[in-house]
Amino acid sequence: MNRMTCADAMKQFFAYLDRVLSGEPLEALEAHLEECLACCDKLAFNRQLDAFVKTRLEGAPLPSGLEGRIRQALSRAEKQS
Amino acid sequence: MGPLWDHGTERGPVESGPARDPDEQERFERLTLPHLQALYRLAVRLKGTPQDAEDLVQETYVKALRAFPTLRQPDRVKSWLFQILSRLVLDHHRSEPREIAMGDLEELDRFSLYDLVWEEDPFPYSDHLHDDFLAQFEDEEIRGALLGLPEAYRLPVVLLYVEDMSYRELAEVLRCPIGTVMSRLHRGRKLLERKLWECAKRRGLIRTWKP
Repeated sequence: MNRMTCADAMKQFFAYLDRVLSGEPLEALEAHLEECLACCDKLAFNRQLDAFVKTRLEGAPLPSGLEGRIRQALSRAEKQS
Repeated sequence: MGPLWDHGTERGPVESGPARDPDEQERFERLTLPHLQALYRLAVRLKGTPQDAEDLVQETYVKALRAFPTLRQPDRVKSWLFQILSRLVLDHHRSEPREIAMGDLEELDRFSLYDLVWEEDPFPYSDHLHDDFLAQFEDEEIRGALLGLPEAYRLPVVLLYVEDMSYRELAEVLRCPIGTVMSRLHRGRKLLERKLWECAKRRGLIRTWKP
């Protein structure tokens, strides 16, 4: 198996974090991470950034009366037919 | 996994006129309205303001009602609704450039917010440089950075973060191969890193950086 460069490893980070990497690409990345502390730190940062952004996107309360307005729009669309 | 609707085209479900039977509309509402909260949560992160999000959700419901007779798998109605909303978002922005030029892609692949923060060292006495850097951002700045991404990248990233979708679900909702999902999520998150760096520079968080 060819040794992976840091640039190639970085291209696989997100697939790895999303747990869709398997087989040879996964083995190559894990082998690289075992030897490269810098990439381990970068990967940990990307994991942290994902969690950080995710948390900041939480909380979008439904505007009051939205369901009623949707029902009205559906009835209007029905009548327009 | 079969198609979600009967005779759709690559552009999505075919509108076959509204559901004329009042019972049909009631069935439509019973099936789809439980997903209103999820659709709104997605729309608000894609559009930025409650009003634009509401308009998008409303448009999604009206379009879905018209396409309802062609829905084949009512148990997967949520995916179907997300698919319609996603298509509306992409169609609204068809005139905008959706792809990134190849040269930019190579530069984007090399972009590393981690390295830049390390090199610029905005908090010289910090033991947790990257934590301290991220902690500077307000919620609105993170959301604003995401809104700055082209729709083709913003959509999968928001669906992943907000809905926790698998690549397979994303491929179904976005109607594209899993390989495309993978590259959009990679580049979308790289673009987000770049937007956050630009935001940090504008905010003066990077004290050593000179324009």
